Amino acid sequence: MDYNVSALIEYFPYFIPAAWKTIEVTALGILLGMVLGLLTAFSRLSKNPLFNVPARLYIFVIRGTPLLLQLMFLYFGLRSILNLEALTTAVIALGIHNGAYIAEIFRGAIQSIAVGQMEAARSLGMTYRKAMIRIILPQAFKRAIPPLGNQFIIALKDSSLASAITIKELLLKSQQLASSNYYMMEMLTIAAIFYLFYTSIFTWLVHKIEEKLAVSGSR
Amino acid sequence: MIKVRKLEKWFGKLHVLKGIDLDVNPSEVVVIIGASGSGKSTLLRCINFLEKFQKGTVEIDGKVIDKNNEKMKNAMRTHVGMVFQHFNLFPHMTVLQNVIEGPSQVKKISKAKAVEIGKYYLEKVGLSDKEVAYPSMLSGGQKQRVAIARALGMEPSVMLFDEPTSALDPELVGEVLSVMKDLASEGMTMVVVTHEMGFAREVADRVIYMDDGLIVEEGTPEEIFNNPKVERTQEFLSQIL
Repeated sequence: MDYNVSALIEYFPYFIPAAWKTIEVTALGILLGMVLGLLTAFSRLSKNPLFNVPARLYIFVIRGTPLLLQLMFLYFGLRSILNLEALTTAVIALGIHNGAYIAEIFRGAIQSIAVGQMEAARSLGMTYRKAMIRIILPQAFKRAIPPLGNQFIIALKDSSLASAITIKELLLKSQQLASSNYYMMEMLTIAAIFYLFYTSIFTWLVHKIEEKLAVSGSR
Repeated sequence: MIKVRKLEKWFGKLHVLKGIDLDVNPSEVVVIIGASGSGKSTLLRCINFLEKFQKGTVEIDGKVIDKNNEKMKNAMRTHVGMVFQHFNLFPHMTVLQNVIEGPSQVKKISKAKAVEIGKYYLEKVGLSDKEVAYPSMLSGGQKQRVAIARALGMEPSVMLFDEPTSALDPELVGEVLSVMKDLASEGMTMVVVTHEMGFAREVADRVIYMDDGLIVEEGTPEEIFNNPKVERTQEFLSQIL
């Protein structure tokens, strides 16, 4: 098998728009996922069935089905009703998908804070809401950071599935180039390099944030 | 100051408080003793409504507290301080921030004034030098003293202590008890659940012995420790003294 190293360098620049596309889909998807995740976590923790039943259902359906299916469902399945742009669809699908996981991360983090913290806050006369905002959430966020970092890396890699609905991100780009230049291995290598570059930055960033938070008030 | 009437509580099917009547007068120090499972901590937690109860009433400063009225409960808690067995300090805040959190966030006192109050009470518990430390850097005894300062920062009219020394290493118990003694001598109204019989004997105006969800006997420390009238009290004391 021939492996053309110079093709790596030659075709590298062609990937740059696709690399941006990957970041765009991932970042917007994560942003939407965070908003959905937080709202869902609170709904899930609510004692009111009006809130917690839909939250459970959402998590059940989304975690129980593949992202690829969800993408296709939105893009091809609902085309006649929604007729969304491919990029919008990818962001929504990635957002909804990650929202379910992020909700569980937040819920777990909130529930992991000892009951005594809420009791101490309430004993000072704080309302439930104030105790949540001032005492529970700051601690819960800190605990959520490592699993969130993990989830963001998963989201980044999952953005490659958007290739199935015509988004020209890294993976689709590599396939398109390979089909005309026949450097399949080389094109996949370039895409892989980009993914590794992104995940390294993510990992480093999460590590830095953890370090910073550890200094200010660890347990 | 505190009037508890016919208070009954169940945890599921377990009847843990079976009709408690308790009065605490201003400046009085009431110490509740009893075996674990007797309901003494639960009673204390019912007084500031951290624990729900099914029957009876709690009256604080002349007001019967409505258990369904969140606003009323929150207002009541601003003048009922509580100290917990496991301190429950806020780990993401410094010692000073812990103490000023209540005054500034709940009473809406200005930051400068809250800091002044915070420093005053930290000095009172002898921890002025720990203002910028985080709870994780403190010993158990220091943590509990910060927790006392945090409760005092709200300038409560009564303080509830739920086994404040039970989680401490033996050599750290003294510093916490001495802060509590000072507080008592200054006329603070206190309800203390504890296993520290020495403290009860020395500081209490009234000792209450609880067993199986009921107040079995109450009286001055001399009456309870030297001449207990009820057989169950005698048995309990003979086991621990």
